[in-house]
Amino acid sequence: MSTHAQASATLPRRPTHRVRTALILAALIAFSVATCLPAIGGVEIDLESITRNWRNGASKLQQLAQPNLAFLPRTLGPMLETLAMAVVGAVTAALVSIPVTLWAARPSNPHTVTRQLVRFVVNIVRSVPDLVYATILVAMIGVGTLPGVVTLILFDIGVVIKLVSEAIDSTDHPYLEAGRAAGGTQLQINRRTVLPQSWPLLTNQWLYSLELNVRISAILGIVGAGGIGRLLDERRAFYAYEDVSLIILEILIVVVLIELLSTTLRKRLR
Amino acid sequence: MTASDPITAAAGDLAPAASGAITLRDVTVTYPGGTRALRGVSLSIAPGEMVSVVGLSGSGKSTLIRTINALVPITSGRLLVGEQDVSRLSGRSLRELRGRIGMIFQGFNLAERTSVLSNVLVGRFAHSPAWRSLLGLPSAQDKQIAIEALDSVGILDRAWSRAGALSGGQKQRVAIARALSQQPSVMLADEPVASLDPPTAHSVMQDLLRINEERGLTVLVNLHLMDLARQYTTRMIGLRDGEMVFDGPAADATDQDFEAIYGRPIQGRDVLGSAP
Ligand SMILES: Nc1ncnc2c1ncn2[C@@H]1O[C@H](COP(=O)(O)OP(=O)(O)OP(=O)(O)O)[C@@H](O)[C@H]1O
Ligand SMILES: [Mg+2]
Repeated sequence: MSTHAQASATLPRRPTHRVRTALILAALIAFSVATCLPAIGGVEIDLESITRNWRNGASKLQQLAQPNLAFLPRTLGPMLETLAMAVVGAVTAALVSIPVTLWAARPSNPHTVTRQLVRFVVNIVRSVPDLVYATILVAMIGVGTLPGVVTLILFDIGVVIKLVSEAIDSTDHPYLEAGRAAGGTQLQINRRTVLPQSWPLLTNQWLYSLELNVRISAILGIVGAGGIGRLLDERRAFYAYEDVSLIILEILIVVVLIELLSTTLRKRLR
Repeated sequence: MTASDPITAAAGDLAPAASGAITLRDVTVTYPGGTRALRGVSLSIAPGEMVSVVGLSGSGKSTLIRTINALVPITSGRLLVGEQDVSRLSGRSLRELRGRIGMIFQGFNLAERTSVLSNVLVGRFAHSPAWRSLLGLPSAQDKQIAIEALDSVGILDRAWSRAGALSGGQKQRVAIARALSQQPSVMLADEPVASLDPPTAHSVMQDLLRINEERGLTVLVNLHLMDLARQYTTRMIGLRDGEMVFDGPAADATDQDFEAIYGRPIQGRDVLGSAP
């Protein structure tokens, strides 16, 4: 027992890492500079081109600052298409993600071989960039919304399964032992306990993937995968920057609205 | 609470006729890391006995309890529950054996985001076709068994509450109801009251005693408090470093016996006190 009246208690000196921090900073700066040196294969950053093309850019900016509101009716159809792609993609991915996530997490699948196999496949699906999927799928099944939706599904299941299965791995599941002690099969235990315990993790990630889908599908159109992006690409090709501006503005508003909606919903879930 | 036994009454002829006898012959458990948690334990428990297992932390109490439903496999020796050789069972037959051995835990081990009722229905896993639990459609009979189990521990009114919203004592009662809905012939309890305050600890121990007396269940309970072992159990088993160093009537166990089991003088934290 020590009496807290003792005035001799002193806080031990806080450990500092100044030298280490300085070294790390120096290394970072050196690395950044090196990547900008074309002589050693770095990316070429030509600051002069900004000033050279400034006049050109300024007129474009001027056009962009005047969105053509008369173009609005023609954008509504493609915008709805984009939203539909986002929702269909998110919902399909959500359905697929339920069993596969449980398959990929250790507490719900103690069988190491199948778990690692599922994880391996998911990691491959995840490592391909969405634009690459879209480009390949457009080449395979043609221009339209279908390659867009498939791209979104692949993107979403990669994200949801990886993040949620890792979250399930990193939490305690004491009820598993109780289910096993009661003579339950792994499937029964998963369905009646692990899944309901993981609903918040899943729904949170589903809403987030819907949010990302709206953003991504706006761009996917540029490679021919349907939606508002295709219109954007078409107007840009005609140098109709007032129309482009309107479309960008519209995407911005829709993305913000979806984000607001999903953030409120996700807060409710917690 | 009714004086009759509603759960076995509801089960009628479905109640397992299996006996709650437990026999260990020279049982050894060595964990993968090399820890020898049980060394040559031999012991035989008759159906309907109320047995406590005492010993210091790390003496092998949890290991002993967990071998009985094969949550921990034995390394050598023989272990019989009823007529069945536990180490020979696997798959379906092991799940069936577990289905008639109830278990409660120090940490309650509930799925806290689901309702009290669906936690209790976990106790019906081994007794109903899997498709029923997968579709979330328990049979009327399973539901009735769960409801009566909840009623017998006095928390039927909380059936629709989220399990996580209950107090510690209430959670342990839900866990007892979950075990009871298995209609078991053996009840294992691993430090069931170690997370509870003294009055709640006593009432949970009383629930266990009542289950033992009314239903004739074999109860095997880990305790680290001397007075609970003496007050609520009839037979006491003492473990020290994985070896059985005491086996006798709990009420007669002297302080010297406890000192021998613990290998140190009795301390204040070895008793709970405040008996009701
Ligand atoms: N899963 C495991 N893997 C390896 N060693 C284990 C495992 N579980 C327990 N042990 C070891 O086995 C010995 C007995 O542990 P056990 O949990 O049975 O003791 P206990 O009497 O229940 O202790 P406590 O009162 O602390 O719960 C200890 O030395 C422990 O470290
Ligand atoms: Mg223990």
